[in-house]
Amino acid sequence: MRNMPRTTLQNVLCTFCASGCDNLEITYDGRIVDSARNGCAISVSRFTTADESRILKPLVRREGKLRPTTFTRAIDRAARILINAKYPLLYGWSQTSCEAISKGIELAELVGGIVDNTTTSCHGPTILGVQDAGEATCTLGEVRHSADLVIYWACNPVHSHPRHMNRYTIFSEGRFRKTRKDRKLIVVDVRKTDTAKLADRFIQIQPNGDYELLTALRTAINGEEIEQDFVAEVPVETIEEIADMMMECEFGALFFGLGLTMTMGKHRNTEAALALVRDLNYVTKFVVVPMRGWFNVTGANEVSTWQTGYPYAVDLTQGYPRFNPGDTSAIDALARGEVDTALVVASDPVSHFPRAAVKNLLEIPIVTVEPKRTPTSDASEVVMPSAIIGVEAAGTIYRIDGVALEAKKVIEPPLGVRTDEEILDAIIKRVKKMGARR
Amino acid sequence: MAELLIRGGYVFDPLNGIEGEKIDISIRDGKIVEKVSRKARVLDVSGMTVMPGGVDIHSHIAGSKANCARMMRPEDHWRDPEPKTKYTRSGVGHTIPSVFTTGYRYARMGYTTVFEPATPPLKTRHTHEELNDIPIIDKGCFPLLGNNWFVMEYVKQGRIDELAAYVAWMLEATKGYAIKIVNPGGIEAWRWGRNLRHLDDKVPNFDVTPREIVRALCQVNKILNLPHAVHIHPNGLSEPGNYQTTLDTMDCVHDIQRESGQTMHVTHAQFTGRKGWSWADVRSGAPEIADYVNTHDHVSIDPGQLVFTNVTWMTADGPAMFALFKFSKTKWFNADVESETGAGVVSATYKKSNYVNAIQWGIALELALLVKDPWKIYLTTDHPNGGPFTAYPRVISWLVSREARQRVIDKINKTARRRLDLPGIDREYSLHEIATITRAATAKSLGLGCKGQLGAGADADIAIYSIEPRKIDPAKDYKAVRKAFASAAFTVKDGRIVVKNGEVVRSVQGRTFWTKPEVSEGIMKTVTSDLERKFDDYYTVRMANYPIEERYLTSSQAITTRGDV
Amino acid sequence: MTDLVFTPTRQFRIPVTAECISPDFVAGKSLREIELTQVWEGNRRIKLGSLFKVQGEIGRTLDDCTVKITGNVSAVRRIGFEMTGGSIQIDGDAGMYLGERMQGGSITVTGNAGSWLATQMRNGQIEVQGDAGDAIGGSARGGTKGMRGGTITIHGNCGTETGAWMQSGTIRIKGNCDLYAGIHMKNGTIMIERNCAGRVGAQMTGGKIIVLGNVGGVLPSFQFEEIRAKAKVGDEKIPGPFYFFSGDVNEEGKGQVLARVTDNSDLKWNERLIER
Repeated sequence: MRNMPRTTLQNVLCTFCASGCDNLEITYDGRIVDSARNGCAISVSRFTTADESRILKPLVRREGKLRPTTFTRAIDRAARILINAKYPLLYGWSQTSCEAISKGIELAELVGGIVDNTTTSCHGPTILGVQDAGEATCTLGEVRHSADLVIYWACNPVHSHPRHMNRYTIFSEGRFRKTRKDRKLIVVDVRKTDTAKLADRFIQIQPNGDYELLTALRTAINGEEIEQDFVAEVPVETIEEIADMMMECEFGALFFGLGLTMTMGKHRNTEAALALVRDLNYVTKFVVVPMRGWFNVTGANEVSTWQTGYPYAVDLTQGYPRFNPGDTSAIDALARGEVDTALVVASDPVSHFPRAAVKNLLEIPIVTVEPKRTPTSDASEVVMPSAIIGVEAAGTIYRIDGVALEAKKVIEPPLGVRTDEEILDAIIKRVKKMGARR
Repeated sequence: MAELLIRGGYVFDPLNGIEGEKIDISIRDGKIVEKVSRKARVLDVSGMTVMPGGVDIHSHIAGSKANCARMMRPEDHWRDPEPKTKYTRSGVGHTIPSVFTTGYRYARMGYTTVFEPATPPLKTRHTHEELNDIPIIDKGCFPLLGNNWFVMEYVKQGRIDELAAYVAWMLEATKGYAIKIVNPGGIEAWRWGRNLRHLDDKVPNFDVTPREIVRALCQVNKILNLPHAVHIHPNGLSEPGNYQTTLDTMDCVHDIQRESGQTMHVTHAQFTGRKGWSWADVRSGAPEIADYVNTHDHVSIDPGQLVFTNVTWMTADGPAMFALFKFSKTKWFNADVESETGAGVVSATYKKSNYVNAIQWGIALELALLVKDPWKIYLTTDHPNGGPFTAYPRVISWLVSREARQRVIDKINKTARRRLDLPGIDREYSLHEIATITRAATAKSLGLGCKGQLGAGADADIAIYSIEPRKIDPAKDYKAVRKAFASAAFTVKDGRIVVKNGEVVRSVQGRTFWTKPEVSEGIMKTVTSDLERKFDDYYTVRMANYPIEERYLTSSQAITTRGDV
Repeated sequence: MTDLVFTPTRQFRIPVTAECISPDFVAGKSLREIELTQVWEGNRRIKLGSLFKVQGEIGRTLDDCTVKITGNVSAVRRIGFEMTGGSIQIDGDAGMYLGERMQGGSITVTGNAGSWLATQMRNGQIEVQGDAGDAIGGSARGGTKGMRGGTITIHGNCGTETGAWMQSGTIRIKGNCDLYAGIHMKNGTIMIERNCAGRVGAQMTGGKIIVLGNVGGVLPSFQFEEIRAKAKVGDEKIPGPFYFFSGDVNEEGKGQVLARVTDNSDLKWNERLIER
């Protein structure tokens, strides 16, 4: 692809985190991206390092080693593995398009398996909290226009979502809030993070004390007395001051992250945060927006929900959707040694899952669909190389707040590498031809 | 393609004046034709009732708020699973079915076209993704415009032509079908935790009133020659005394006449049809509303019939949902959409013993029975707000049979029973009228000439029910009527049999209808430059990424209109 | 009492769902019928007889029915589902959802029981000699209706959210209890004889939780009322003294948490509130 003219594409959506920055300007020359403007540093590397660590050919394991093979043979082997499975897990999904996720659910139903996405290890507790407490939320532009109080709780957007504050909160310009002075920032965290350094008030909380502090805030907001002197190592006077700030604002916005969902209490922590915001709505306008991580984890939840009724950890083994995280969720099912086969799409559970789950994962056949070489792909029986969504393949993704956007295809994938959607479609066709049991 | 002859059935085709006559229906290539060759496959439906496939004008089946409701309410799903079959995908049902189940359940009742009545434009890509996945039925959606910043600014400036061009731009950008207004101006007030109650209240920071917004959009509807009326959910939902706002809303556009069809359609009028000052003395405003509809040709309504069961409230009317949540104390979901609109979801249960619920139930039936012209009132439950769409057969039984509704009247709250006019209403709908309010009139109101009728050229969407009209008396045999409408003997979609004896035997892809109004280049240029100037200030997505391309719709059916601007 | 005995023919790894292992299902059936009953093992349908050796006698009537299981059935779900009478005796470890929506009869387990034991139980007796998992006597996902009758006794320790959304009935934990015992509780009684990890009674609106060991602190949404000499579980009087708290104020709750004074010295500071 030499001698291709340099092209610049505008309004490109970044597919790294779930902030949904869609104003990137990408200049490329054939398959090489020269520059990515308007995004954060992470987005630049997403485009400029697309070629690193790529899997370039389909691989199947023969005599203990992964060897290149043809697309057809790899698909055939993958289909065979899935058809023979009695309790397969189809996992990943948060870094691919909705179109691919839809195929994944179809495949899970066809072979009778569990289809779960990375929500299970990050914001699953948020969804469980919503299932008990509901959620008062909005699209991010509403925060930009109206919020005069912003709270980051147990998250560090300076590093995790670098453009979040510029686009949506304290450094953004909205119709009713023009400058930084028009907004106050509170940060709650166990240590003084880089985000905390920007706060008007920083509340340092005892690790694993979030549930208590959220409960205390609710107590103050509901006009009741807190009998303790300290809650989660925060003085009650401070708690009451923060409660006052929340009640006196015109439009408050709470953002929370994994520090809440993955610490002691999990979905009860998120339920407490959601209940706090709900209680605040009796007094003033308040919203909550979780800080979702991967660029299409929200999409994975959305597609799963509209197709099966449930957002993740969906068990289709008995011919209809069932949902019970702790039972039907990937990590738990793997840890108990129940899963006998795994299909992993755009994820690396070998690197990220707890040890007990990884131990069992390494003992079963894995089919991986993935652009880059990972410890999971290294441990697989079949590896299908795929195109990177938003760089080499188009597709629909959902931003943190549920706004659906289209990721563009900017450059061609490496020769012979197909999209997740095409690969899954091929597996489905092969499985149907082989005669899935049911 | 194949030819099909539906032979020997009793046909109800109100748009063509056919009322229970024995007529054969001929189909070729998915359309109804005058006749077919002798090679045609024959479907013998002797002794059965044949109607056009059902056309549902208002049912919340797809999009962000429906999905948030599904996600929030796993307890709604586990009792009503749908296992996969040879022809169907699995899913879950009850009040917020998953998408595959939605399509199958509609088809099983003989419905073939359904419209999602409220989609936030910024999130309409999501709505289309879900609509694409709903099998069998044809569909469309109505974008919400009544709290939109560009709309309110054009209204304030009195720039109706530019507003018309903007609406044209929006319909094409969202692939939407008609103008939807929900609580005009009230959802913008909800940004600050407030609401608007009356037509002449001012929208904070925008200095316009609901009256001005509604009038302007009705004028635009006329200018653009859009196929449907302006579809409106008035201010004051669920508040006692809101029937007056409904009357005022209908009356505020009585001087605006379209070339054909109504100017305004007021939806789920039961929710905005209450008299009284407080919850304790809520009464029915149905007689007044029905009287208005009976004496004015520019409006139509649908009742949003209540059914005594567990339901999910979902609407763009965020503030109303919070108000209702404070009553119900169940679960509340809210999602405001920047610069445009909002959404709210609450779970609830309607009980016969509850005074207010009983009154609501009565209001809806009174509306249906007191509006004389079945071309002005359509059967809905505002699914899932009044009840799930699977309750339509039950609602039909209440309309055709006084005895059926009396059985419920006998069990409702005593005070409500005393205060409603319903017990004294004798009227019973005929099958012909049922065909009108469930298909012919809705198709006509939507401006979908190819639907809701069985004349040559129409889409071959047909429902066949196991009732022999000459042998049964719906008023007495209402159970048989209910059973027949719950489970169609056959449903035909685009000439193919998709349901047999209430079971899906074939899944097909339906079309998504949308409207494409054409306006002059000059006015469109003015508006797009206004948008370009302001878009990044108003939205957090780029203008270039906002419109939905036609290729996004799995099967797109554009309806072009010529605007007078 | 006639006994029907199920013995696993092998170790189960892949989950088995066997709602038919229940007195209601087996009563009045033949051995052959029971062996031929289809159950799920993962995504495959399989005869019960392939998974279990089925021997013994089957009661004619429900109350005359005892189902015995000898062996590890920790991978078998929904044993005793919606049972209304008779008894189940498991000599080994039991799986998830044991006794879900039970309405009567009794279940005993010599080993441990999995999570979601007796969710939405209406009546009956359950006794587990070993430990139990999470959400004992709880509700369905997203639901607000937990157990509403019957008695559950766990001799070992239990997991989180014991008695979530409980409406009535009694749960006794003889060992330790993880976080959130009695969360969203509406009524009924939970007694924990040893220590709790914390957050007891979170968001409760009614009911009573008695903790004889260390309660793990009290949430800021609870108010100290007084010191009580005794606590009651049914007719049984438990000697105290107990610190008595009411809450959860954020739910306008009138629930009661009683923590025995001897094991809760970290709560002594509440005593200064007595004068107020």
